[in-house]
Amino acid sequence: MSNPTPPVGPGLPDTQTLVTEPTRAPEREGKKAKTGKPASLWTDAWYDLRRRPMFILSVIIIFVLLVMSFWPSLFTSIDPFNARSCDLSTARQGPSPGHLFGRDNLGCDLYARTIYGARNSIIIGVFTTIVTTLIGSLLGIIAGYKGGAVDAVSSRFTEIFFAIPAILGALLIAATFRGRANSILLVIVALGVLGWPMTYRIMRAAVITAKSQDFVVAARALGAGAGRIMFRHLLPNSLAPVIVVATINLGGFIAAEAALSFLGVGVLSPDISWGLMIADARNRFLEAPLPLVFPAAFLCVTVLAFIMMGDAVRDALDPKLR
Amino acid sequence: MRVTKGAQIVAGTALLALAVAACGGGASDSGGTAAGGGDTTPVRMEIGEPQELLVPQNTTETEGSEVLAALFSPLVGYDENKQPVEEAAESVTTEDSKVWTIKLKSGYTWHDGTAVTAADYARAWNYAALQDNAMSASYFFGRIDGYEDVHPGEGKKPSAKEMKGLKVVDDLTLEVTLAAPFSQFKTMLGYTAFYPLPESAIGPDGKVTQAYGEQPIGQGLFKLDKPYKKGTDATIEASVYDKFPGKKPSNWTKLQFKVYTSAETAYNDLQAENLDVDDSLPPSAIASAKAALGDRYFDEPDASIGYIGVPLKYNPDFQDVQVRRAISLAIDRKTIAETVFSGTRAPADDFINPAIPGYRQGACDACTYNPAEAKKLYDEAGGPKNIEVGYNADGGHKEWIEAVANNLRANLGIEVTPKPFEKFQGILDALDGKEYKGLFRMGWAIDYPAAENYLSPIFGTGAIESGSNYGGYSNKEFDELIKKGDQATDAAEGLKFYQQADDILIKELPYIPVYFYRSNFGHSTKVKNVKLNLLNQIDWADVEKA
Repeated sequence: MSNPTPPVGPGLPDTQTLVTEPTRAPEREGKKAKTGKPASLWTDAWYDLRRRPMFILSVIIIFVLLVMSFWPSLFTSIDPFNARSCDLSTARQGPSPGHLFGRDNLGCDLYARTIYGARNSIIIGVFTTIVTTLIGSLLGIIAGYKGGAVDAVSSRFTEIFFAIPAILGALLIAATFRGRANSILLVIVALGVLGWPMTYRIMRAAVITAKSQDFVVAARALGAGAGRIMFRHLLPNSLAPVIVVATINLGGFIAAEAALSFLGVGVLSPDISWGLMIADARNRFLEAPLPLVFPAAFLCVTVLAFIMMGDAVRDALDPKLR
Repeated sequence: MRVTKGAQIVAGTALLALAVAACGGGASDSGGTAAGGGDTTPVRMEIGEPQELLVPQNTTETEGSEVLAALFSPLVGYDENKQPVEEAAESVTTEDSKVWTIKLKSGYTWHDGTAVTAADYARAWNYAALQDNAMSASYFFGRIDGYEDVHPGEGKKPSAKEMKGLKVVDDLTLEVTLAAPFSQFKTMLGYTAFYPLPESAIGPDGKVTQAYGEQPIGQGLFKLDKPYKKGTDATIEASVYDKFPGKKPSNWTKLQFKVYTSAETAYNDLQAENLDVDDSLPPSAIASAKAALGDRYFDEPDASIGYIGVPLKYNPDFQDVQVRRAISLAIDRKTIAETVFSGTRAPADDFINPAIPGYRQGACDACTYNPAEAKKLYDEAGGPKNIEVGYNADGGHKEWIEAVANNLRANLGIEVTPKPFEKFQGILDALDGKEYKGLFRMGWAIDYPAAENYLSPIFGTGAIESGSNYGGYSNKEFDELIKKGDQATDAAEGLKFYQQADDILIKELPYIPVYFYRSNFGHSTKVKNVKLNLLNQIDWADVEKA
C-alpha cells in the first residue's frame, strides 16, 4: 500500500458511456410495474444493487468500519491514548488473552490501536471526498453549463492541477505546513486541493450532455434562470457518474492518507493512523511482523470495500454494462 | 585440499573483478596472485564510502578515519585504561599545560621513503587551521595560540598563514603554545586531524593535491597499493609498509577495505565469510548477531551520549530544577535501552561516558527510574501540563522519543507530543526563532577522549555563542571549575575539577542524559584477536589470521 495509484487516475473508461445515458428510467417488467409509476434511475439502481453480493459484502464491511470509528470502545476496553496501557517491557509480544493481536514496538496493545486507527482513516477519506466532490462538481457544472470562455479558462486551470502528481503534490503541501496546523485537517486539505479535477471533468461532461436535452430547453423556454436550471435540472441528472467516482476515490484517499502518514507527513503521533502504524513497524518487520501486518490488512480491506462498492454502484447506474 | 582452496580463491577473485567492473571501476586485480598461500589473501574490513578525499585534516567522519588510521601512525594511542600513550611521538611533555613539547621518534619514514620531521606536523596543522583551506577538522586546532589569526571566522580575512603557537625546534621536536592552558591537550593528539602531511602532498597552488587525496602517502603500518577513486571503486587495497618501525601483523600483509552501501549486505557477507571485520552491524541484526557469531560478536562502550535537551534559555517552564529532575526520574532508561535499542545502548548514569576516564558509575542519582517520586516532584513544582519533545526524523530517533513520551505521559500524567523536525538544525532554528519551546533530542559524540569534552562544549557559558550549548545553560561555578581543570598541570588533577563540574550538572540537569551508545562489531572465523580502540578503529598490528 505504500504506493497507491493516485486517487484521480485517468482510468474509468466507461465514464463516457455513463454520461451519455440520459435520466430515462428503462421500463422494467416485474415488481416495479405494480406501483404503476415508471421507476426512476435511482430506484432501479437500488433494486439492482440489492441483488449484488459484492455490494452487500462491501456495505457490511463499511458499516462495521463506521461503527468502529464512531464507537471504538464497543470493540475494545483498552484506551490506546492512555499511556498507562503501554508497557515497554512487553514490546513485540505475540497475541495473548486480552491482547488479541499482541503488542507493538512500544508495548502498546496492537488491537486497540488498530481499532482506533480506523477513525482517522474514515474521517480523512470521507471529508476529502466531500471536499473534492464539492469543488469538482461546482466548477464542473458552471463550466459545462456556461461553456465558451468560462469553460475554456476553468478547464485549462483544472489541467494545471491535473498535471501535478497527486501524491507528490500532497506530500509537498503536507510537508510545508507540517506542524502549523492540525495534522488531520492538513491531510484533508492537501489531498482535497489536488483531488478534485477528475470530478470536475466528469461533472462537466455530464452537464454538457444533459443541457441539450429537451427538458432543459423546456425549462429555459418557461423562463427558468441559470441557477435554477443548473441546480434543479442539470445537477440531479448528472449526479450518477459523480457518485460513482466519489465512492471509488474514497478508497483511494484512505490509501493516500496511509501513504502520507507512512512518509511521515500525514497524521502525526500521538494521533493514531494505519499508515503511521505501518511506518513505525517497518524497521522491525523481520523481528516482529504483526505490528505491520494488522494495520496493513485493515487498510487493504477498507480500501477494497469502498472500491467494491463503487464498482457495484457504477454497474447499477450504468445499464449499458449489464 | 590445497587445489580446492586455490580454485575457490581464484573463482572468488574473478567474481569480484566482474562485480567491480560492472560498477564501472577499473580495479580488477585485487590480490589476483593469492592462490599460493594464506598470508597474502587480504584481511577484509567493512567501511561505508568516505565522505571526502582521504585527507586527514578534512576527515571528521568514521569511515574515512578508519582508512586513514591504517595508513598513518598517530602521535599518541590509547592504552587499556584509556590513557594516551606515545606512538609516533617519543614524548609529549609540558610544565604549565600551556607550552607543550612534542618529541618525535626517529625511524618513521613516509611511504615514499623520506624521513618524517616535525615540519611535516607543523605543515599539516597550519594547513588544517587556515580558513582559506576550509578543512572540516580546523576546529581541533582552536586552542593553539594564533588560531584566531589564521581562522578569524566567516567573512573575515586571515591575517596570517601560520599559527604563531607552532614552532619547529629541530627535525624531531615541535613546540606547541596554547592560547590558554589546557591539561588534556595530549589526549587530543591521537585524532585523525593531528596526522602529519608530507611536503609532496601540497601542490603548487598551496592546496593538498587531488592525487594525494586519492592515494595519500602516510607514515603508518599500511601503504595504499593504488589510488582510490571515490564513487567508482568498491575496494581500497593496502599492504604492510616494510619500513614501518612499529609493530606489524604476525602472519598477514594485505588489507582490503570493502565499501558497502548497506549494513545488511555487509552483515550477510560477514556471515558468508566474504568479509572478515564488520563494525557496522545493522540494528535489526543485533538480536540475532549474538547467536549467529557467538564469541566473534563484541559489544563495547562507545564514547557517545544521547540526551533529552532542555530549552532553558527559551522556556521558563523548565527553569525549576525540580521539574527537570521529575522528568529525568520518569524515564525508564533501562527498558528503553533493552527494548528499543535491543541492547545497543546502555542506560546513562553520568554526564561522562564510561568509555572515558572520569566516568563514575551511578553518579547521576536522578537517572534512576522512580515514577512515584517523579510524579510527586512534578506536582509540587507545578510543571507544565503540555510538553513537546522535538526530534530529527532523519536519524532513527522516533522510536525512543515515543517511548520517552509514553513514560512521561504515564508517570507524570501530562500531555506529551513528539514533534518531528526534518533535520537537527531545524530544531535549533525553531528554538532560535521562538517558534518552538519544547524539549529536544540531543546527542554528543566526542572530539577527543577527555572528560572535559562532555562538559564545556555543551554546557559552558562560552559555548552558547560559539559551541554546542543549545539549551543556553549558564553557571558561573561550573565555568570556574572547568577553567581550573584546564589549567591543572597534570591530567589527573584536572580530572578532579572536571568531576566537580560534572557534579553540578548532575544536580542541575541542564540536559537529561538518557543513554550511552555502545559499539558492536563482529569478525569472521578467518581472523582473531580483533580489538577496537577508543576511537573505534581497529588495532591492525594485533590482528592475526586464524
